Parts: sequence; structure tokens; C-alpha cells
Amino acid sequence: MAGPVQTDAEMRATLAASSVAVIGCGGLGSNVAAMLLRSGVRTLTLIDFDHVEESNLNRQLYFRDQLGRPKVEALAETLLRIDPEARLTLVRERVTEANLVDLVCEVDLIVEAVDGADTKAMVVNACMRELPTTPLVTASGLAGLESANSIVTERPCEDLYLVGDLTSDVRAGLPLFASRVMVAAAHQAHAAIRRLLGYVEP
Amino acid sequence: MDVDVALFAYLSDYQPDGLGGRSARAFHLSQGTTVAGVIADLKLPDQPRIVFVNNRHADEDAMLHEGDRLAIFPPVAGG
Repeated sequence: MAGPVQTDAEMRATLAASSVAVIGCGGLGSNVAAMLLRSGVRTLTLIDFDHVEESNLNRQLYFRDQLGRPKVEALAETLLRIDPEARLTLVRERVTEANLVDLVCEVDLIVEAVDGADTKAMVVNACMRELPTTPLVTASGLAGLESANSIVTERPCEDLYLVGDLTSDVRAGLPLFASRVMVAAAHQAHAAIRRLLGYVEP
Repeated sequence: MDVDVALFAYLSDYQPDGLGGRSARAFHLSQGTTVAGVIADLKLPDQPRIVFVNNRHADEDAMLHEGDRLAIFPPVAGG
């Protein structure tokens, strides 16, 4: 990989020419997508099978007047208000081992932002196995009220970036707070931006 | 052969020394042991996991070799 992009103009051009797939458009993915777009990544593939529900509104980038809408459509509407020229590909499907690679094989970087542990493992294992040269940013451990400082970005292997405290799963007593979810989302977006610009995490 | 084994998150409770933590421990294994063999020996729960050998992604049928560094990471729910 070439060294980091240096000038402001080069950074803008590199990010504008980059494409990212966001798998899962919940608390992580909806916020990651907005941060990537605001940072200049204008080509996004948004993947989610679900609809906007009342219980999403405490942390996900949706609004009351979008309840019941497919998440990818509602999110696209919001993103296009940020950047009307954003190039968005909307995929209203649940990712499976059978469809995943086809959905993300052409992007420059993949963000895993699904909620279930089994789907997370499936996405990471399938992407690392089938698309080993595409950088992947995943997240694990962002629930509850532990310090936001315990959420970190690590690089456990070559082009895999792992965000979270690695342990705090969603369960009774460990609900998802917007503040901590968004810290993790910001780590994911920033890891993606850094990687697209040629920086390597330690 | 000796292989270093690191277990992340809740899997660290399964380190045989009972000390927990994500640091790697040296395991003495017979030649031909696979990642799946280590998982079975440690009686790791049948939960989603991601395996790395020498900082590269690996499948569970991967054969281990002298000096390898095995790391097993279990993603947890929340997104």
C-alpha cells in the first residue's frame, strides 16, 4: 500500500473517488454512513433488510416521520439532504454467506455494522476468506455504560480493523446508549477514512 | 510442537491456567493439530468466532505448526 495521501486536495480527491459498503444500517451503520459522506466519501452501498421502528430512534439516524420505511430508503433520503450528489446503492436484503460477496465485491472498503454476533462472525469470516484484499472495519462491544474511552480501534490482522471494547454485548442491564454507540460508529468511520487515505493502524 | 494461543473477550475464561486475560499462552500440541483440535481441547463454547493464525485470518481446519500464534476472537452482539 502506498503511503498516506498528503495534501488537502489529494485527500478530498481520494475520498471522493472511494467507495464503501456499509453492511447493516442500524446504530452503527446509519451514523457511519453519514460521517463518511460528510468526510467526502460520496459512493456508498447501504445494505439492510429492516424497517425503521420506534425503538431505533434513540440512537439511529432516523426520524419519527420515517417509521415503517425501509431503513436503506430512509437513510438515503437523509444522506441526500447532506449531499444531493451522493452516489448511493441501496440493497434491501439480509446478508447471507450466499449473497454477501456479490454485494460488496466492488467497493474499496467494507464496514460491518450488523447487530447479531453470528452475523458479525459470518461477515468477517466470509469477507476475509473471499475478499482478502478489501479492507474491513468491524465492531464488537459497544453496549452499556462503561467508559467511552474503553472503545478502541485495533488491527488484529492485516487489513481488518476492529472497533469496540470487545466484551460488552447487548443484554439486560447493558442497553445501547446513543453516546457509546456513536463513539463506536465514529471509530469505525475514522478507521475507514484513515485506511482509504493510506494510514495503517498500529 | 509449541504454539502460542490467545483467547479474546469471554473466551479468556477458558485459558487452562484460569488467569483470564488476552495475553497468549504457550501450548504444547502434537504434530498435526488443527485449530479445531485446540478449540475442542479447550472446550470452547459453540459460539460465533473468528480465528487468526500469525495475524492472518484462518479457517478452523487450518493445521498448526511449531511457533504459530493462534488467536480466537468471539464477536459480541450490538450494532
